[in-house]
Amino acid sequence: MLTFDTIAQVLWTSISTSSYLVLFAVAFALVLKVNRIFNFAQAALMTVAFYAANAVVSLAGLSGVLGFVAALGSAALASAALEIFGFRSLRRRNASQMFLFIFTLIVSELVAYLAMLIFGTWPTTIFPSLFWPVSLVGNIAISAWDLPAVGGMLGSLALLFACLRYSQPGRFMIAVADNPDLAELYGIEKNRIYLAAMIVAGLLIGVGMFLYGSRAQVQPTTSIELMLFAIAATIIGGIGNVWGAATTAIVLGIVQNGSVLLIPSEWQGFLLYIFLFLAIVFFPSGVKLPERKRGLARNVASVDLDTRQSTPANTVNPASATED
Amino acid sequence: MEYVYTLIILIALSVILASSFNLIIGYAGLISIAHPVFYAIGAYASAILARDHGVPVPIAMLLGAVAAMLASIAVALPSLRVSGDYLLIASIGFQLGVLEAIKNVSFTGGAGGLTNIPPFLIQSVGREAYVVLVVAVAVLTVLLTRVIAHGPYWRALSAMRDDELAFGALGRNAVAMKVAVFALGSALAGLAGALYAHYFRFVTPEQFELLQSAAMLTMVVVGGMRTTLGPVIGAVLLQALPQAITFLDLPTALLGPLQGLLFTGLVLIFMFWRPQGLVAAGEFWRPSREASDVGRP
Repeated sequence: MLTFDTIAQVLWTSISTSSYLVLFAVAFALVLKVNRIFNFAQAALMTVAFYAANAVVSLAGLSGVLGFVAALGSAALASAALEIFGFRSLRRRNASQMFLFIFTLIVSELVAYLAMLIFGTWPTTIFPSLFWPVSLVGNIAISAWDLPAVGGMLGSLALLFACLRYSQPGRFMIAVADNPDLAELYGIEKNRIYLAAMIVAGLLIGVGMFLYGSRAQVQPTTSIELMLFAIAATIIGGIGNVWGAATTAIVLGIVQNGSVLLIPSEWQGFLLYIFLFLAIVFFPSGVKLPERKRGLARNVASVDLDTRQSTPANTVNPASATED
Repeated sequence: MEYVYTLIILIALSVILASSFNLIIGYAGLISIAHPVFYAIGAYASAILARDHGVPVPIAMLLGAVAAMLASIAVALPSLRVSGDYLLIASIGFQLGVLEAIKNVSFTGGAGGLTNIPPFLIQSVGREAYVVLVVAVAVLTVLLTRVIAHGPYWRALSAMRDDELAFGALGRNAVAMKVAVFALGSALAGLAGALYAHYFRFVTPEQFELLQSAAMLTMVVVGGMRTTLGPVIGAVLLQALPQAITFLDLPTALLGPLQGLLFTGLVLIFMFWRPQGLVAAGEFWRPSREASDVGRP
């Protein structure tokens, strides 16, 4: 029977398990917004982050904190390498979008095979046990993993918000996302900003993958499936809208976890593919929410946007369609 | 001798897959890596129809190709209506979703695979007859690709791929053309799947996962995209190379990843150092380089 406690429990579990999904979605959306790349190679970065933490904690027997640092450092380094040796080089050659797509896909597969070769195909974890002590708050079971996970997610999002809103590189990212050529005219070095966006995405992926790997078993191809969730959230949230992707990831997580009350658990994973299909068919530009009015400044901005909307939809840069 | 026959059949099937994939990703410029799922749909549909419903194998094979074609239309129509980029995402989701479904339902044999698929020609006429059949289908596929690539349809395809807006302004329906090419390529992959199923008589979902996507992409990119001969050479090369690795007597756990590394590594090497592949189309693949050079001293 569906009681308040059951619903509250499902809701809490959904929010806590959405923590890493939110970070993956935000990382994907950020790179799409700033660098304008559908970065499927994010799966490779996720694999690198997980196995770095796994090697430090599980294989070398070092502490979890060092594992966390290894996940963060390896993902950021791999992100930077991908930008410098991959994307930058392809950008210099004016490679087509198809070329970039294939490149990111192949990189994600290459890293998956490399991980299979080095670490094997068996699922593994960062810590020896996946069981975390549980305490009851009211009638809701909260595990020792839940609070750090939700805290880690909120902290990462707060740092990202602060970075985009108040730091110079963050503001430059918004400028490059809006109009890279104009940004360059104002003296912003595009390549440095692309690199900064990739590193920030790498750090978010590192946090997310450490959280995921400390709660679930991972094998080399797991990240590719996790990536689809990030893509679905990014599309439904509105391409170019980083915070929309985060919100959608939480909603999708709640729906997926809540589905356990209605459908057998082995079909729970299948829901993701339905989300993806529905997102593409019904929400290719994301779910549009009514805009709030926030005084003169916002009104003036919306006038500008309205003027831009008079141009054909296909010519509007998706990355600039949403203001962050 | 049986080993040689099996190798010839595998190469011929790869030629069908690579040529039909080249039609989609090369000539039409549609980005999808889910070709293996249509291969799987053809294999499973044909095998289930012949084994569980008593449909004669040749008809089951054709129905397998039709099933793959219908599935491809179901994926392409909604995603291409929006934008070509969405086809990639939709197709990956479709590939993983279908394979997930195959693993979870009983009539497909689940994750363990489908066994006891009825053979065709091998017992009544002989293995050689089946080899001839598969090679004939491969040759016909290559010829079909050549006809498409050298006829008026090719000009329309090129126009659509290079400037969809101008193509539409001429009164042509780009979405219909994209869906048609995607459906044709997928139907050929479905036929290849059916031919595979009735020879090896055993299929599992694992055979159609991302390793296959990487392999097909490698055949086309390494061989030479938008050429008739390139994917054929790529298919022969990429079927022969893993055979060489199998002679190393490595454990099965190492063999799969090594083959995957070989495929993906080769694609990366070719992407950076010879993007036109072994057989160069002599155009398009790296178009903007020339464009960016325009006006330079």
